[in-house]
Amino acid sequence: MSNIVQNSGVDSNRFWRVLIYTTLLVFALFYLLPLFVMLVTSFKSLDEIRQGNMMALPEVWTLEPWFKAWGSACIGLTCEGIHTYFWNTIKMVVPAVLIATILGALNGYVLTKWRFRGHRWVFGLMLFGCFIPFQIVLIPMSQVLGNLGIAGTTAGLVLVHVTYGIGFSTLFFRNYYEAFPTELVKSAMIDGAGFFGIFWRILLPSSGPIIVVTVIWLFTNIWNDFLFGASFNAGEGAPMMVALNNLVNSSTGVKEYNVDMAAAMIAALPTLFVYIVAGRYFVRGLMAGSVKG
Amino acid sequence: MASLEIKNVRKSFGSTEVLHGIDIAIEDGDFLVLVGPSGCGKSTLLNMIAGLDEITSGEIIIGDEKMNDRHPSKRDIAMVFQSYALYPNMTVEKNISFGLEMRKVDKAVRKQRVAEVSQMLQIEPLLKRKPGQLSGGQRQRVAMGRALVREPKIFLFDEPLSNLDAKLRVDMRTEIKKLHQRLGATIVYVTHDQIEAMTLATRIAIMKDGVLQQLGTPQEVYDQPVNLFVAGFMGSPSMNLLPVTLVKTDAGVAAEMKQASGESVHLPLQANASYERWIGKTVTLGIRPEAITDPGSAEQSNDLVTQIDCEVTVTEPTGADLFVFTALGGEEVVARMRSNSGATAGDKAPFSFNMDKAVLFDEESGKRI
Repeated sequence: MSNIVQNSGVDSNRFWRVLIYTTLLVFALFYLLPLFVMLVTSFKSLDEIRQGNMMALPEVWTLEPWFKAWGSACIGLTCEGIHTYFWNTIKMVVPAVLIATILGALNGYVLTKWRFRGHRWVFGLMLFGCFIPFQIVLIPMSQVLGNLGIAGTTAGLVLVHVTYGIGFSTLFFRNYYEAFPTELVKSAMIDGAGFFGIFWRILLPSSGPIIVVTVIWLFTNIWNDFLFGASFNAGEGAPMMVALNNLVNSSTGVKEYNVDMAAAMIAALPTLFVYIVAGRYFVRGLMAGSVKG
Repeated sequence: MASLEIKNVRKSFGSTEVLHGIDIAIEDGDFLVLVGPSGCGKSTLLNMIAGLDEITSGEIIIGDEKMNDRHPSKRDIAMVFQSYALYPNMTVEKNISFGLEMRKVDKAVRKQRVAEVSQMLQIEPLLKRKPGQLSGGQRQRVAMGRALVREPKIFLFDEPLSNLDAKLRVDMRTEIKKLHQRLGATIVYVTHDQIEAMTLATRIAIMKDGVLQQLGTPQEVYDQPVNLFVAGFMGSPSMNLLPVTLVKTDAGVAAEMKQASGESVHLPLQANASYERWIGKTVTLGIRPEAITDPGSAEQSNDLVTQIDCEVTVTEPTGADLFVFTALGGEEVVARMRSNSGATAGDKAPFSFNMDKAVLFDEESGKRI
């Protein structure tokens, strides 16, 4: 009797499992569909695209659209592809991410281990900064950049992104260091380590997971930014995302979907790469930070 | 090595004062144990000696130098934390030498000092490991090594044994004591465990609610507690505290107790002039369990040993001894008898009171008479 009950229990369990996984699979495929279309389109020739079969695999695989997007596609009046803009973005993202991460770590360190009167307020205001919509600051920001003489430059964009980035990076590091034992800091203090000595030698080496989280977060956000790039640096030094938009909008008669798709893929690859390499640390780091604080 | 003087030290957090004027002075080479229930301010006091907490008022003097405004790293102290506070990203070797490195000690000297200390503590095989790969006892040793390698004037220990299991705790206790004897170091040690305090200290400071209750050698604190709190806190099982009335007898002053049966019992007291003015009044008699024994193990030659027959309520054998519980004057009394004394629950048994060891307290103020 009990055997029968148990068996049917297993069976219904299996039934639900299959149902759940099938559903998940269908949704995952559906979600990946645009990526699939982008990829296959980017490997097709224009003739093949005109046949109208969007989902079909390319009959003849070609890398031509990728090369064109990278090196010779026309953006506005110059036809040199997006590669210069790609480097523009790198020149903006790397310093912005590094500076915002280091400042965030220092802020987190001070806000947890060197508390001062009103530290809660300072942290609260920084958090508040995270939630100010980008559009609101556009005009004041352009004024500030103009006054500083860095309007329309990569340095200006770095400043903008660092300003927006430290809110989140401070939040991440503060929560992480909140759970970090204060006795270690005290002990290092007695051992003779100074403010920066403790930071470099004790805290930072133990901050791996949260550094990964912060870097991924900032990298993705800054890399994908369009609004600030379009507003503050739309010319020669424009970042990738602005260039991509211009590329798609620069028509020379024929709409080259394959080149557009290839350019979009090139623009998305770095963030994709970062997620694949460090994605599991991302989740782990988020969890570690959220346990306490 | 250095002496330590704490002069009228106070600590306030906002408007609440947590330490109310502590005065402690110890000599070079003393082992001072700060003991008391949690929240008594002992850890705060230690942190103030270390410089990790600010001193609200008063002075802390190490050697001959006032330390009040000095940074922890410049006080020439080393501290062992309850959590050990080993740097998780460094090997044991790095952990031990970190303090020296920060003080810009030569690399060769560092290496040699680490070797000496690790040999002394028998942690040589662990030097290349990270703290995460060590057991509790090993971490404890590394933490001690980190303090020892610096050769500071004063060692500070903040409940260093409370994270260890019972057996290891006793072993490490002995080792700390050996270390103290060998190095002759000045040590300040915080614990809530009165046995640790008794076994390790050359000076015990008992604290309660931010007030120093008594400072003295372990024997002084044990035999002559200044008040009821100290009497009850030190010793296990704790001192028997009984309400008695002082009466004058032919032999001098005696403590009178009413038995449940209505008859009164007289226990003669030491000759003490200050007892006179308490005659006829009710006071608290304090007597340690080991001062109440079976007649066989009592000092029969002592005049102040009095024998009373009482009914045994419970017996607790510990192997070495037999703790015998009875009721006297309406209060429960514990006696420490030989394990073969033959006392059994429910029966009457003779109890020998060695009143030479008894102390009296004022019921109201709790102070010793």
